[in-house]
Amino acid sequence: MADPPLLSVRNIEVRFGGLVAVAGVSFELRAGEICALIGPNGAGKTTLFNAVSGNVVPDAGSIRFRGEEIAGLTPHEISALGGRRTFQNGGLFPELTALENVLVGLHVQVGSGFLGLLFGSSSARAEVAATERARELLWLMGIGHLAEQKAGELSGGQQRMVEIVRALATNPLLLLLDEPAVGLSPTARQQLAVVIRNLARTRNVGILLIEHAIELVMSVADRVIVLNEGRKVADAPPEEVRADRAVLEAYLGHA
Amino acid sequence: MNLRRIFWLLPIVLLPLPLWLNQYQQYVLNTALLYVPVGIGFNLVVGNLGLLAFSNVAYFGLGAYVSGVLMAQFDVPWWITLLPAALIGGAAGAIASIPALRGVRLFYLAIMTLAFGELMRWTYIRWEALTGGSMGMAVPVPNLLGWTLDTDLRRFYVFLALVVMLVAITDRLLRSRFGRAFMAIKDNEIAAAAMGIPTDRYIVLAFAWGGAVVGIGGAMFAISVGHLTPVSFDLTELLRQFAIIMVGGLGSLTGTIIGAVIVTVAPQVFISFPGFDELVFGLLIILVILFLPRGLASLLARAHPVFVERYYRG
Amino acid sequence: MLTLLPQLLISGISTGMLYALIALSMTVVYRATTVVNFGHGDMVAAGAYAVFVFGLGFGLPFLVALALAIVLLFAVGFATQRLLLQPIVGGPHLSLAMMALAIGYTLRGVLRLEWGNETINPQRPYLQDAYMFGNVVITTDDVVICGIVLLLLVVLFLLFQATPLGKVIQATFQSQRGAALVGINVPLFHAFMWGGGTALGAIGGVMLSMIAPLTPDLGQWTLVQGFAAMTLGGFGSLGGAVVGGILLGIIQKLLGFYLNTVFIEITGYLVPIVVLLLRPQGLFGRRAAVRV
Repeated sequence: MADPPLLSVRNIEVRFGGLVAVAGVSFELRAGEICALIGPNGAGKTTLFNAVSGNVVPDAGSIRFRGEEIAGLTPHEISALGGRRTFQNGGLFPELTALENVLVGLHVQVGSGFLGLLFGSSSARAEVAATERARELLWLMGIGHLAEQKAGELSGGQQRMVEIVRALATNPLLLLLDEPAVGLSPTARQQLAVVIRNLARTRNVGILLIEHAIELVMSVADRVIVLNEGRKVADAPPEEVRADRAVLEAYLGHA
Repeated sequence: MNLRRIFWLLPIVLLPLPLWLNQYQQYVLNTALLYVPVGIGFNLVVGNLGLLAFSNVAYFGLGAYVSGVLMAQFDVPWWITLLPAALIGGAAGAIASIPALRGVRLFYLAIMTLAFGELMRWTYIRWEALTGGSMGMAVPVPNLLGWTLDTDLRRFYVFLALVVMLVAITDRLLRSRFGRAFMAIKDNEIAAAAMGIPTDRYIVLAFAWGGAVVGIGGAMFAISVGHLTPVSFDLTELLRQFAIIMVGGLGSLTGTIIGAVIVTVAPQVFISFPGFDELVFGLLIILVILFLPRGLASLLARAHPVFVERYYRG
Repeated sequence: MLTLLPQLLISGISTGMLYALIALSMTVVYRATTVVNFGHGDMVAAGAYAVFVFGLGFGLPFLVALALAIVLLFAVGFATQRLLLQPIVGGPHLSLAMMALAIGYTLRGVLRLEWGNETINPQRPYLQDAYMFGNVVITTDDVVICGIVLLLLVVLFLLFQATPLGKVIQATFQSQRGAALVGINVPLFHAFMWGGGTALGAIGGVMLSMIAPLTPDLGQWTLVQGFAAMTLGGFGSLGGAVVGGILLGIIQKLLGFYLNTVFIEITGYLVPIVVLLLRPQGLFGRRAAVRV
């Protein structure tokens, strides 16, 4: 038997009142694979994301992460298992500096519990190590010089990078990126594509990506899943999807 | 940042201070001291965690009555009552956090917690057998391991020691990953959860820890005034406590200390009339919101880096 | 025991009408500005004091005193919004809530400086009488309160539904940005609604001071009952505020009589806690909880 896939989504259904946002979607994601979710607004992409990250509890279906059922777990539990996400608009903590944002990402790895704190078991060493690692990552991504600036005062592109650094800091196994290219300049987009590819190839991270910037999708994704009205209408390599009539219909609203 | 350590000299400098003060001034000084823990707990929830909880006076009153009743009716020594006062205060804090856990925020949370605090006041009024009702109850003279705390001067040293301890612990808490997590929750709760922070647990933690510290402040209040009445825990008291954290600076530990001193001492400068406290605290808060929204601590932080706190943005 | 039920219902509805008026006045401010006025109760109390001062102090006839008080409280509400709240609109919710609370307390402090903690029993402008219907007693107070509140409700309903001004108000309730786009001066509208809400509440305060002793603490009681009525009916719903107020009056009387008199005092505190925990949207309104 081969290892279970990194992420296995089976017949997921999410309803909001009478509205069916996701209607029985299934797919799999392997470690080191980059999979893009595309589709028109309201197709259920972000809802599907929210179900995987624990922000929404699915009404039916199963979500397995490394073979373990995670549907219904809370976001922080899923996060602790190694599934991290970024947010469509502003997932940062604007009052915290870039460095502190990354340190929040490392929260679980830093130091002792509440009682340990009160009774003196020092967590200083873990904090110092985490700070060093956070700085290193920020430099690696080319934004080390922004470490002490408040995240809320950074440009859109810089905020994106901080958010990605923050998601990476814990060496996640699964990364959910919700429209990471929004507001980025063309150069920054290319940079982002390189980062995403490196993560998958060298660190074996499984990446699920929601993106409207079609050229980014085509250049980084190994596979593209197309959603329309809560259903999966295609699941294929980018070049096949590009040629698919049904996809064009879903995406452009006409044949 | 080790320069900050010079602040620990402050209590030593304060040691001889009451010797120059008359008895009334000593009493005022003690009141300022006991409002430091009261402000600390309040600021933790409102300033650091950013939740609109108006139930601080409930923990304060519970701490005071638990300590007073245990001393008066069960002959428990004062220093032992600190523990149940903290526990009950903390439990009340945890209870007050329930609506927040259920997703109630903003004005709704403010209204619910305000109602909770007022219900506690009615409990003191109605539970006459324990509290003496509206007429109040006398608190016996406390002693600490045989040392009678019958003067303001003696109480000063006990209060100072307690306050230094609570400030030290809170300082440690706020500079740790907990302080950072509180600020993350305040800034963006959903993202905080996505970073692996169990937000619900941290909200309960802040409320309960805050309630416990405020409960200790209540026990200090009980022996400082020597007589407990329910009016001490009404909405004017809530306003005073709001004035402390807002004048000092929301989310700032230094600010809480400054606020406790200013809000306690400032009204003493004038002759007090009925209604005077409400007027002074009301005007203080209005002026601070309009002209110094981050409180006095922000002026200090701008004046010298030694006053910069790790997770307070002045 | 049950023979007293009709009587309890009647007095419950009568006080409930007053709560309804106060909750309605708070809802007007809330819907217009999305700020909950934690100082509203004290403004309501100030209205009662103003009538007392104009009437007894200056010797003016009651109706003149009432009209002056309404104008004065409109000005207070208008100026409060303009000078103290408008500068911090868009700031943290805490600042807005605290600003309103602090204004209320400052006002209460002024009232207490002048009147201390003495209790005033203002004279009614009419003769108090009681009418028997079977075993139900209806007082002139009941008739006057219900009559005036119903009259105000009809006037407000017509104002909102059938006048051009009402359409503008409704539209601005729905969308502030849309209103700004079609040329409505939104800050001025906010100040106007604060003034209107405060004046409306002041009328409630005047009637309240006829049936309850007037002290500077009246504002606190009023605020709590207003909140309770608003949460019961659904925060932000105008109709809900009215129904919530009447229900609150009835619940208070029933619990107070059949369970324990203490409930007359604490129902106002219990209602928001119970309602927001069990059914955050109230009986009629939208959801109160901001789920994360």
